Amino acid sequence: MESSFREATAEERVASVPLSHLSVELGHLYAEDISAGRDSLAAYFQRVAPWAAEARLTALARVSGQRRPRVSTCFLVDDYFARLGSPATIIPDLLETAADSGLHIDYLARESGCVDADQVPLAQLVEGHLVPDPAPNSTGLRPAVSEAGWLCNGQRSPVNGPSEAMRPVLPWAPAVENGRRRHSIFLDIELWDQTDGRRTWSCPFLAAVWQLLRLGLLRYQGRDVVVPKAWDHDTYPQEWDDLPAILQLSPRAAPFSAYRTFSILDGRFLPVEHAVRTILAQVAVEPLVLEQIVERSNGEGMRLAPEISSRIAYLFLPE
Amino acid sequence: MTSGTSSVHRATTHRPDPGLVALGEVRTGLLQHSAAIPHQLAERILQLVPGERVRLSQRPIAHALSPELMAGVDCRLAAASGTHIDGTGTVLTRASITGGTVVQASARAVVGPARADHRLPWSHYMARPGMIETRGKIEVDDLAAGFIGQPTSSSALDLSALSRRMMDVIQGSSQLDHAPRMRTKRTRLRWTARTVTAEQPHGLVEFAIEDDVLRTLQLRTKIDRIAMVASLCENLALHDWLLSTLLELIEREQRGAPHAPQAVLRLRPAIDSLLHLWMPAAHIDESLHPVWEALERRAGFTRQWEQLRDRIRDQVTLSAVTLMSVVTEGSASE
Amino acid sequence: MIILSTSDKGGTGRSVTSCNLAYRRALQGSDVAYLDFDFGSPTAGAILSVSGAERGTTSGAGLHHYLQDRVAEPEQIDVWSASEREGLRGRPMGAGRLVLVPGDQGGGEFPVGTEMVDRCIQLFLSMEAEFELVLVDLSAGRSQAADLILSATAARQLQAITVRWLVFHRWTRQHIIAASGLVFGERGLIEAGTERGHDRADLENSIRFVRTAVLDLSSPEMAGLRPPQAAWLQSCNRELQELATKTKLGRTTMLGSIPLDPVLQWREQLISDNDVVFSQIANPQTSQAYEDLAKRLVHDEAWMSL
Ligand SMILES: Nc1ncnc2c1ncn2[C@@H]1O[C@H](COP(=O)(O)OP(=O)(O)O)[C@@H](O)[C@H]1O
Ligand SMILES: [Mg+2]
Repeated sequence: MESSFREATAEERVASVPLSHLSVELGHLYAEDISAGRDSLAAYFQRVAPWAAEARLTALARVSGQRRPRVSTCFLVDDYFARLGSPATIIPDLLETAADSGLHIDYLARESGCVDADQVPLAQLVEGHLVPDPAPNSTGLRPAVSEAGWLCNGQRSPVNGPSEAMRPVLPWAPAVENGRRRHSIFLDIELWDQTDGRRTWSCPFLAAVWQLLRLGLLRYQGRDVVVPKAWDHDTYPQEWDDLPAILQLSPRAAPFSAYRTFSILDGRFLPVEHAVRTILAQVAVEPLVLEQIVERSNGEGMRLAPEISSRIAYLFLPE
Repeated sequence: MTSGTSSVHRATTHRPDPGLVALGEVRTGLLQHSAAIPHQLAERILQLVPGERVRLSQRPIAHALSPELMAGVDCRLAAASGTHIDGTGTVLTRASITGGTVVQASARAVVGPARADHRLPWSHYMARPGMIETRGKIEVDDLAAGFIGQPTSSSALDLSALSRRMMDVIQGSSQLDHAPRMRTKRTRLRWTARTVTAEQPHGLVEFAIEDDVLRTLQLRTKIDRIAMVASLCENLALHDWLLSTLLELIEREQRGAPHAPQAVLRLRPAIDSLLHLWMPAAHIDESLHPVWEALERRAGFTRQWEQLRDRIRDQVTLSAVTLMSVVTEGSASE
Repeated sequence: MIILSTSDKGGTGRSVTSCNLAYRRALQGSDVAYLDFDFGSPTAGAILSVSGAERGTTSGAGLHHYLQDRVAEPEQIDVWSASEREGLRGRPMGAGRLVLVPGDQGGGEFPVGTEMVDRCIQLFLSMEAEFELVLVDLSAGRSQAADLILSATAARQLQAITVRWLVFHRWTRQHIIAASGLVFGERGLIEAGTERGHDRADLENSIRFVRTAVLDLSSPEMAGLRPPQAAWLQSCNRELQELATKTKLGRTTMLGSIPLDPVLQWREQLISDNDVVFSQIANPQTSQAYEDLAKRLVHDEAWMSL
């Protein structure tokens, strides 16, 4: 006789989230860019438009056969590092100037939403999943060398501290990148700083959380972390805090998260994104989530590599 | 199309690869607390990764399993032949609490050859959790033997340190009172699993007691079920620890006055907290039961356990009777 | 229970006495671990006659390396099976385990960081979980080892564990003053311990003194002294008693006194019953003093609040 027994609390499960083929970020602006006014926003979207033409995005979605790709667009507003003007005026300005250039924003996200969203401490969650890139001779004997609040891609230059009595003092040595090709490009990233016990997460760290959200790779207790909220009012509140972390602006938009992301950013964001990729390379995504997404993409006839970094593309806008 | 919020179960199907070897170490010890802890507390202690669930089961025995942690390694691997083999990748560690009483901490990795002859970007390894890729060819038998015989102090991959650190984290938890009812040793089980081949029948096992704390186990099985194999090894380590601990307690009890009725009362904590934990092959995938059975045939765990258990029970009954008569005689003569 | 052995000066007899106490306690039936934290000169291996570990272990897995995170687990040597002395080999009937956790050969003192304190806490927790008595021999004086231990034992995780200090000193003016200074003086154990989070009164209550190599004026050997010699010794002894009382090393804080023994004067070793009964090279008073002191280590009455 066949019999089975199971206890739900004993099983490993993770939610499966809706996925597009491609998530396109139409821009990321600092507070001062936004407060520079409508004209500068309009100018910005004119620079973006040629790179976000539908044919181009369809090609980037890399869907096999004749299928119509699911592509969604998004825009991230920085309401974390500086106080912005009111959403009641900024959001309509954004949407209208984008539309003037033929662009459509499906989802609007707040940068503070990458810190905490829907009661989920997202930034902390991601920090808790960092697995530092090991330097040579990391046998597991010692925990990875870490400086609280920093993450790097190699070995820091050794500090000449006190050593065991009567033992030689180490000479100076440069910082080195792990797995370098002869020469190093060493990067040390500040993840957060702290004043009066209050932690402020860094821009690259939150941008890494943002990529993970767009790739549908985060779970909290097995559940989906952020579900975009539909916004079908014509007006917006006075305060950013009164908005959900991610607003869905067009009702028929393809899902927010996607197998791949494509970000169109101003050229000055290049160092930030170098840091983002370095951080992402050290984030442990739950294995079950990784597998699930690869399987689903296979089911759609796509070949998705397991490395997160292979799913991320950029375009850095010329001035 | 996209699905809604549903759940999936792990179902990976890799072909068994003869070029792989799984290495692991399990540490087992008594939880440093004065009583068996409730499930909710075990859950809190094992909540090692923010946002990831502790897996809890009540039957046939209370068992709480932490989420898995990953650690990066880039180092030499011990080989019996002394061949220099370097590898890069990740090790998975986890901890569990059984019956609110016994803690286990384990570390494991599957080792296989890399396609590239140089170190790849870290993202490559992060996408393969629990996998270490070696540069250059490997002999799985050589690696397995090297790992089993690895000395404590070596400059090679150190799963022992990873499992020890995990153990220390759990035992050092501020949720515990650090006043256990008895003193016991921590044991270590080092294990390897190689793929089943035509010449090597399925489930071939070699189990050895190396010294008073170290045991080794060498298996042949399907490497694709490595998480299940790890559970099997944890289960085996748990039972080996129960047996060793009981033997240790009996030895200590007999050390003083072997026949005094009070002496046996010192075995009470053991009786109370350990005897009901014997639950061979609980939470083990059915496909691996033959391995457990093969071990039972050779090492005779359950036979010895039952014999010990009966002996303790007899002694307790006996001493209770003796104590009773001492008390009655005493009161009669007053 | 953790017993921490220290002294202000080297050469007080701290290591030899501690080893003998560990040995006696094991004979009395307890499982005992001896941790060699005398980083400057790890000599316990020699006293216990463990071959290959006379000046610390060469395996690379000693306490120096463990505390510096260079090895996952410190080596444990079972003295009953590793001792080179015929009379010590094989665990006697009724005896508990006797394990040496050696230092590393060639290891010196090293700076103490917070990670090292954590390692030390983990070590004590795991030792305490396994052994009834954990005896730690520290380097002399205001050492890194003492600093490390004071920080570690202040940790929350160790609060359920009984921790006691033994301060060894010889029966001379200089030694009495020095031992008192080490405990009560500036940057002494109590001041440094309080700074590191210990409760002053509790810490003070957990410290006792042990006098070593004390000339026993009532012993038969003294009968051969000329009267002026005997009188001088008596008056000297009285002066020392007074000094001891004045410096808080008097009867109430003294846990024991080990007589001067001819064997120990010439060789650092364990005094076995064999040495007393059969070969008769050691004095019965010495082994008796160890035996008594070993019992008092764990006898709560001897450690009641002062
Ligand atoms: N009771 C004793 N009688 C005579 N000599 C002793 C006695 N106790 C210790 N010694 C000797 O004193 C010397 C110093 O002892 P040791 O334990 O090495 O001191 P420490 O560890 O304090 O530096 C050694 O030669 C030892 O044998
Ligand atoms: Mg010494």
